[in-house]
Amino acid sequence: MNTTAPAKLAERWADTASAAAAPESPDWLRALHSEALAAFSDSGLPHRKVEAWKYTPLKRLEAAAPDLPHDMHGTGGVLPPEALVPGAALTLDIVDGVAPAALPAAPEGVSLLTFNEALERFEQRLRGLAGKIGLQGPAQAFAAVNTAYLHHGLVMHVAAGVDAGTVLTRWMSGADSSERFSPFRLFVLLDEGARLELVEQHMSGDGTAGARSLVLQSQLGQSSELLHVRVQAEPEEALLLTTTSVEQAAESRYLYRGFDLGGGLVRHELNVELAGPGASADLAGACVLDGSRHGDTRISVDHVAPDCRSKQLFRSVLAGRSRGVFNGRALICEGADGSSVKQSNANLLLSPLAEMDTKPELEIYADEVEASHGATVGQLDEAAIFYLRSRGLSEAEARRLLTAAFCHVVTALLENGPLAETVGRMVDDAMPAAD
Amino acid sequence: MLEIKNLHATVAGKPILKGLNLSIGQGEVHAIMGPNGAGKSTLGNVIAGREGYEVTAGEVLFRGRDILELEPEERACEGIFLAFQYPVEIPGVNNTYFLRAALNAQRKYRGEPELDSMQFLKLVREKLKILHINDDLMHRAVNEGFSGGEKKRNEIFQMAVLEPSLAILDETDSGLDIDALRLVAEGVNRQRSEDRSMIVVTHYQRLLEHIVPDYVHVLAEGRIVASGGADLALKLEEQGYAWLESGGISALDVEIRA
Repeated sequence: MNTTAPAKLAERWADTASAAAAPESPDWLRALHSEALAAFSDSGLPHRKVEAWKYTPLKRLEAAAPDLPHDMHGTGGVLPPEALVPGAALTLDIVDGVAPAALPAAPEGVSLLTFNEALERFEQRLRGLAGKIGLQGPAQAFAAVNTAYLHHGLVMHVAAGVDAGTVLTRWMSGADSSERFSPFRLFVLLDEGARLELVEQHMSGDGTAGARSLVLQSQLGQSSELLHVRVQAEPEEALLLTTTSVEQAAESRYLYRGFDLGGGLVRHELNVELAGPGASADLAGACVLDGSRHGDTRISVDHVAPDCRSKQLFRSVLAGRSRGVFNGRALICEGADGSSVKQSNANLLLSPLAEMDTKPELEIYADEVEASHGATVGQLDEAAIFYLRSRGLSEAEARRLLTAAFCHVVTALLENGPLAETVGRMVDDAMPAAD
Repeated sequence: MLEIKNLHATVAGKPILKGLNLSIGQGEVHAIMGPNGAGKSTLGNVIAGREGYEVTAGEVLFRGRDILELEPEERACEGIFLAFQYPVEIPGVNNTYFLRAALNAQRKYRGEPELDSMQFLKLVREKLKILHINDDLMHRAVNEGFSGGEKKRNEIFQMAVLEPSLAILDETDSGLDIDALRLVAEGVNRQRSEDRSMIVVTHYQRLLEHIVPDYVHVLAEGRIVASGGADLALKLEEQGYAWLESGGISALDVEIRA
């Protein structure tokens, strides 16, 4: 394994990203590209003193010292995993951050476009969204790198009033991906009254050790609905840094159901902006960690417009020497009166060596706000264990059942039956033994 | 069926049972009555093997075998069932799933083939019908959001599915109104059989109007201080437990068996 000083790694990334093809036009995009490169060259990678990254150990990345893509080819040797959900209207496979040369056909009312194609139709919207991703400072280093590869991304659009059904996106690393860090950008635009179930499946083949970054930016038009299911079961060596940013117009609904069941170092940032009155964001996730794995979930919900509702329900199970981080923030801006915020983070520690850092943050600058938040870190309920054992279940089985049940509070929120069944089974299989 | 000899048990270092003797024959229903703090619930928990209840002396023989060394699940598989005074709510665990896992664990222990979901469903339907229980109970998480009555009926339903040879009903009447009490008692009575023994632990006589026991024992200060037939319960109801303090056993106008 290589060991490279972080500064060296950052320098190499800056060089590779500069040498990789830059966007040809328009001007704002070229300027954004240069700005991202310059910001990254200045800041380098985040380190422990950067507040937002203080718990996220990047040693694994520094040790593996992968390079950014020099060209837009995958590393090959990939067998796509089983589809999590059958009968998707559209299935999109992205390997090593590279979109297929021929994009799959999209159903009526849905467009799947390369970034360049999409510029012709949605330039202003894309420009607005792209400009929202912060680039400056080490905390934004991975966002800046991602932005340098922005023009290789894809845009999905659902026309007004169209119910697009289920779109399955499968993200994976190639067989020889261990020396590569692959960034990707996906835009998901829902026009007024549109509806989409988007499944984000991160499942690379066993033995792969890829490092990937995905920035998913979504714009939800008035009264539209996005149901976003993220299932992450990467192999143990994988590194995954994902950001989801959602901008919501009036009366739109965003539902997030996340399941982090694998990976070596996984960090997911989920930022929601409730920009129009009456919008709602219902966010829930379960994370299962064991061994020496690290899982980091950072939620930020901004209530900008009045009468919006947001809910955060996140649970983690930690075994071995694993470490989890939950940072859940809700900001109620001035004027966002009548907001409702609920936040809950509960964590189960199965091992004395596992560690969970949880920090709910609530900032309120408006009136007539309904807000509640709470965070707990605990062990299994001994009374419940005895109850199950008194009926004949072994202690190990009782513990496994109760641990899975703790996560099934999130699984139970999945409305898609076949998907709920598959994910439920995956959650059961991911349950670590107590130690 | 069950022989308890000179049982001493402590909870958090405090002696609760102090030399309890009890003998229960096959198919018999024994009521254990007594004032609060007498050790009634401790007895059930010790037999079921709950952690935190330490046996310091004596033995508990179930079908001739000392069960005190067995894990709670082994005791369950041997045929002992405890209906909890406070059934535990378990969000996220489906009642059907739980009960099938429990039944199959017991069948496996006994070397019987496990039931698949169809066979299990058929069994559950039969039992629900006998007990007049609505099947929506089966689709919910174990005891989650159940009313007091629903929780107790769920205990009796579990008992019907698991078919134990010894059932201990721990204050099954507590927290129930008259209608719920009658329903639960009917469920218990339907499960009386010559193969099944029961210990009915209760503070009040009213449960015993519905579940008429073969024997009644009075538990006080960690020991059985009086035993008799079903009429002993009526006398206790008339005279209360105060005689235990005032005049001891001799003050109570009953025939003493123990």
